[in-house]
Amino acid sequence: MSMNDKNFKYLTGPFSANNPVIVQILGICSALAVTVQLKPAIVMALSVTVVTAFSNLVMSLLRNGVPSRIRIIIQLVVIAALVILVDQVLKAYVFEISKQLSVYVGLIITNCIVMGRVEAFALANKPWPAFLDGVGNGLGYGLILVIVAFFRELFGSGTLLGYPVIPESWYATEGGWYTNCGLMLFPPMALIIVGCIIWVHRSHNKDLQEK
Amino acid sequence: MATKKFRCNVCGYVHEGAAAPEKCPVCGAPASEFTELKSEKKSWWHDKNSNVYIVVYATVMVVIVAALLAVTALSLQGRQRANTLNEKKEAILASLGAAEQNYDEYIAAYAVDAQGERIESVSADEALQMLFDLKKAEANATYPVFEAADGRIVLPVNGTGLWGPIWGYVALEKDMNTVAGAVFGHQGETPGLGAEIATEKYQQKFVGKRIFDGAQFVSIVLRKGGAQDPEHEVDAITGGTKTSDGVTAMLKTSLGHYLPLLEARRNASAGAEAAVGTESADTTVGNAVPVVEEVSNDEKDANK
Repeated sequence: MSMNDKNFKYLTGPFSANNPVIVQILGICSALAVTVQLKPAIVMALSVTVVTAFSNLVMSLLRNGVPSRIRIIIQLVVIAALVILVDQVLKAYVFEISKQLSVYVGLIITNCIVMGRVEAFALANKPWPAFLDGVGNGLGYGLILVIVAFFRELFGSGTLLGYPVIPESWYATEGGWYTNCGLMLFPPMALIIVGCIIWVHRSHNKDLQEK
Repeated sequence: MATKKFRCNVCGYVHEGAAAPEKCPVCGAPASEFTELKSEKKSWWHDKNSNVYIVVYATVMVVIVAALLAVTALSLQGRQRANTLNEKKEAILASLGAAEQNYDEYIAAYAVDAQGERIESVSADEALQMLFDLKKAEANATYPVFEAADGRIVLPVNGTGLWGPIWGYVALEKDMNTVAGAVFGHQGETPGLGAEIATEKYQQKFVGKRIFDGAQFVSIVLRKGGAQDPEHEVDAITGGTKTSDGVTAMLKTSLGHYLPLLEARRNASAGAEAAVGTESADTTVGNAVPVVEEVSNDEKDANK
């Protein structure tokens, strides 16, 4: 259970150089859907992290016994079971947020990041590195989600985590000059923000730039 | 021909045949250096690609997962139910425009039968629980009513939209005629079209509508192309005609279940007003006036 350099890389690699969203361009769909506000984005990020971490862990523990012919189905059973668990817990303890996330919790099952990591990493690695890889990828995905949601909520609703941050007096309705950007609330804006993040990220990481 | 396998102990060469060769063709070791390889058939739990292994593996896996999920679902059920119940309480208060009120203090829940008579055996909690399966409650001719402390009542409604179930709560003023507020919910109506019924903006349009035209129950109609009768009609949703029709049908059917109760209440309040000697009863009940007079005469007789 040591956190040596290699293991540390499994955990932190997906934050930037190997980010599932902005480098591997996975999980875009849910990144558009749940990033209107910060709070659901954070819950979604944590839910996905739990699912990737434990699906990686479970599949890594099972990796020597899984018949290779039905491994995809087994992966789906494990992932679906975890997602249902998460959904049940959310419904019981954070009901309001689970209503906001609605179908997107169920759709974690189809998030390519989860199955991608199980297939590409967990089936070939020991449980501890697999677990770290899952946590790393979940958090790497969550990081992008939170950044996108930050901009969308700030400029779209003038709030952060539901608290108003733009002074009331700035608003046009109060005699000011400011109006919230309604466009931010629409899914295409998330795609544009993700695009901007990719742009900034690649301009700082020369080795990711394609010739 | 039964071939056996023999391996050379020196170099590892495997010979196939009835007996060990006299001399190893690779390293030249004598026949005594050869040992026979027992052709052992792998048992099914060692062969991960055998059908038996796959079926057993999948079965065990599914049973374990199913058991795990069942245990979780059962252990969290109480909390989830409490959450849903809370949501329903909030919706009832929201339809009254009294979100700040405490449900338990403000609302008295009970159930009525098809004749509008209160069913005494149904407790307030049981009436609330009926909301979990309103269709069943209606099939049993038990209709939950939620009465606010100020005399207004909330009637749950349910029906079918375009894609799935729709439901709602309609609050009526004390005259049992004017809509005080309405809240609608849906399971899967089209976002931006049919799903608009769940928006506050749309629900506001119902406030002030009347479900009776004189003594005649007309419900509220969502009219395509725009409301023509401002008293009893609301604009249908553009592009959401099927859902709008569903809401119209839902209101007509579900509110219809409460007609005996509503009419009894209207007559009673009109009677009370007439007995006191106010003339306003005429304008609010219209055609029901003769009945009202009868009632009030009876009451006067009784008073003598």
